[in-house]
Amino acid sequence: MDHVSVWLGAFLTLGILSFLYKDNPWYKLCEAIFVGASAGYWVIVLWWDNLVGKFYEGVGDDPALWVGMILGVLMLVRLIPKVGWISRWPLAFIVGATSGFWMMNYLGSNIIEQVGATIMPLLSTQVGAGFDAGVWMILSRLVVFVGTFTGLVYFFFSKEHKGAFGTTARVGIFFIMITFGASFGYTVMSRMSLLIGRIDFILGDWLGLIN
Amino acid sequence: MRQTIPLFITFFIGILLIIAVFIPPFGELGETFTLFFDIMAVFAFFLGGGNLLRVHINKLRNKKPDWPYSIVTLSGFGLMLAAGLFKINNPGDIAAAVDTAGSLFYFMFHAAMVPLGSTMYSLLAFFVASASYRAFRAKNREATLLLIAAFIILLGRTPFGMYISGWIPDEVSLFQIPNLAVWIMNSPNLAGQRAIMIGIGLGVISMSLRLILGIERSYLGGDK
Amino acid sequence: MSYHSRRCLRSLPTITAIVSCLLLALPFYASGQEPVTDSVPADTAVVIEAAPPTTVLSSDHKYDDGDQINLSWVPSIDETLKDSKVIGYKIYRAEDGGEFELLAEIPDVDTTNAYADQEVEHGHKYAYYVASVTETGEYASLETMPLEPEREWLDLNKAYLFIMALIISGAVIIYVETAKRGKELFVRKIAGLEAIDDAVGRATEMGRPVLFIPGIHDMDDVQTLAALTILGRVARTIADYDTKIFMPVSRSLVMTAARETIKSSYQAAGRPDAYNDDMVNYVTDEQFGYVAAVDGIMVREKPATVFLLGAFFAESLILAETGNSVGAIQIAGTARPAQLPFFIAACDFTLIGEELFAASAYLSGEPRQLGSLKGQDVGKAIAMVVIIGGVATATLAGAWQMGFAESIHGWLMEVFSTN
Repeated sequence: MDHVSVWLGAFLTLGILSFLYKDNPWYKLCEAIFVGASAGYWVIVLWWDNLVGKFYEGVGDDPALWVGMILGVLMLVRLIPKVGWISRWPLAFIVGATSGFWMMNYLGSNIIEQVGATIMPLLSTQVGAGFDAGVWMILSRLVVFVGTFTGLVYFFFSKEHKGAFGTTARVGIFFIMITFGASFGYTVMSRMSLLIGRIDFILGDWLGLIN
Repeated sequence: MRQTIPLFITFFIGILLIIAVFIPPFGELGETFTLFFDIMAVFAFFLGGGNLLRVHINKLRNKKPDWPYSIVTLSGFGLMLAAGLFKINNPGDIAAAVDTAGSLFYFMFHAAMVPLGSTMYSLLAFFVASASYRAFRAKNREATLLLIAAFIILLGRTPFGMYISGWIPDEVSLFQIPNLAVWIMNSPNLAGQRAIMIGIGLGVISMSLRLILGIERSYLGGDK
Repeated sequence: MSYHSRRCLRSLPTITAIVSCLLLALPFYASGQEPVTDSVPADTAVVIEAAPPTTVLSSDHKYDDGDQINLSWVPSIDETLKDSKVIGYKIYRAEDGGEFELLAEIPDVDTTNAYADQEVEHGHKYAYYVASVTETGEYASLETMPLEPEREWLDLNKAYLFIMALIISGAVIIYVETAKRGKELFVRKIAGLEAIDDAVGRATEMGRPVLFIPGIHDMDDVQTLAALTILGRVARTIADYDTKIFMPVSRSLVMTAARETIKSSYQAAGRPDAYNDDMVNYVTDEQFGYVAAVDGIMVREKPATVFLLGAFFAESLILAETGNSVGAIQIAGTARPAQLPFFIAACDFTLIGEELFAASAYLSGEPRQLGSLKGQDVGKAIAMVVIIGGVATATLAGAWQMGFAESIHGWLMEVFSTN
């Protein structure tokens, strides 16, 4: 079995890598296997985890789960043309639930928490400590303060980016670009390590050329 | 009527979840609704899976371009479904977890899906290189800043960073590349992230209100 | 010897025994505990190795659904001694006057003297005692009075959150209403959104399709909802121009919602017959399986315009680069800051974070929708004022230790903290 896994793995790995050269039958075959098998995989996982695990085994203790079942069945009503419009009800439920739930969530984590974290004394390590911050700490805190403020100015919709406002917005986008550059640079190495992992499999596990 | 009821449902459920945050007895409403969603997702799968089958069977029937691959897709789908529903070869039989080691389901996941997924993921190494190459031809000041920051962070996370900048005296050690990389992550990067996050939070609130109050209703379809 | 004296002498052993027992029992009664008798025969002396904990207090946890009681105690006085035999504590609970049962064990000393009992229910009464544990026995404290956990209907801890929600929502709603009355609202140009008409027109001219990717998350992600609202606008343009659209999706629910959206756009454009359910197809829930299929579609169908809007993860760059390789014009947008750099590097236009959520309102041009954007700006203005005020008061309080600055700063930190 292990031999089969390794050879199958190598066949599929090289097939996907061949896409880098151009689209070809080998890649198309691998793509077809991936789509078919993975779609089936997720149907099974949802069947056993959600329908059996969460509904069938949970509905005895929590009859409210029948609401989920009814909404689910209503979605299938879409297949009957005459009453298909009823399937909008479960959609409306989801849209309302997603909006309501995340609205308060984002208010807390993205707005309140972030604004609170930006409030820091510039010249002291903490409130009441006196003038004890070093030069680099003052610089760093000033940068965070100015960067957050000007970044917010950049996102303003109802004012044209002109004059002093425009200059502030320009400074803001500079900070945002540094943020993007930092993210980019940070993830490059981890992407390389993914490739090294596959090369390791091909040269090591399959061809046995390296240990 | 066909729009009114859904609009009302969106409004009612949305407001319910908003005030549930402040009313302790309703505190678990969010979790309960997540369970509803999980159950609904299974039913949606009947529609999605049915669509997958219909599209590929159509391709086969009408001999559209690349129709032989549809046989492969349908076979893979069918085999995975059978392996999972009937727990073929599962050491623990029908009562055991579907992905028990030794079952056909487990084999197909580890022998097929894992290498396919990992290899697709690893393509990123090549695409990052091609994207960086294009970005190197920086056309404006913003792109140049992005590039410089990316470069410093990248170097700072490898031994090259210290190799290149080790000569910088300790008094201004911040300018040694690894230290500079850490400072960039903790100061200007943090500032930009915060501004973006605050903006996103406000955007989510505004969009959620538009949806809940029915100002935005394109997802509902027309009156037919 | 007199009769009395003889009687006294005969009662002397009894009196001695009684006095000894009293002396031995005194420590127990001082701490209010019943002597442990279950493992020791009644006629032998009880060996007491440690003192029990004292001052056991149970209190209702505030602002909850009556599902938590907080317990605290003063540890055994033995913990302050060098040769303490106390190795831990055990907590016992009785429900509605029933038997006391072991609830929890604290296997170490000097760690905690509090416990949050979250296995209680509103409508029942609970009593507790805490015992100090040694190698050979347990020494129980006095029992607490039975307590019923209270259910509060309002969480007053979240009062500031409520006020913030009210202010920001209020601003959005007020501007929506004001805009309805015809007040002109200015919105700055967002390049990515201005380019949509031209991008779709380009696809029509070249006879190639438009590809719309709504991210890889389900309908329970606000980014997917944002993508679908934008889809409504884009589909309207596509219907007007009579362009072909492909929309492979990764989630079945998204497929259903997207079909409704595009169908209604075609109806609004007066071309209901041109709509076809096959415009939207479900591929697979698997992240990279979806990417493999979309890449295949891109290189085979060669779309002229690609929209990448919604929640993306690592696959963002694969999709964007493949789209680039087929010469498509790409408009991307996501609220995941980690993926934005890749879109910026590989796509022609990128909607950054908030712009994704504003896009649909912007594209509609409707005064009510634009009003909501103004409300967002009010939120940003509040954030900016608070940041300036907060940093100023924190600096004054920090360096110059000014009293009024400290109070304002303290209040701001109370409001802008999440608990």
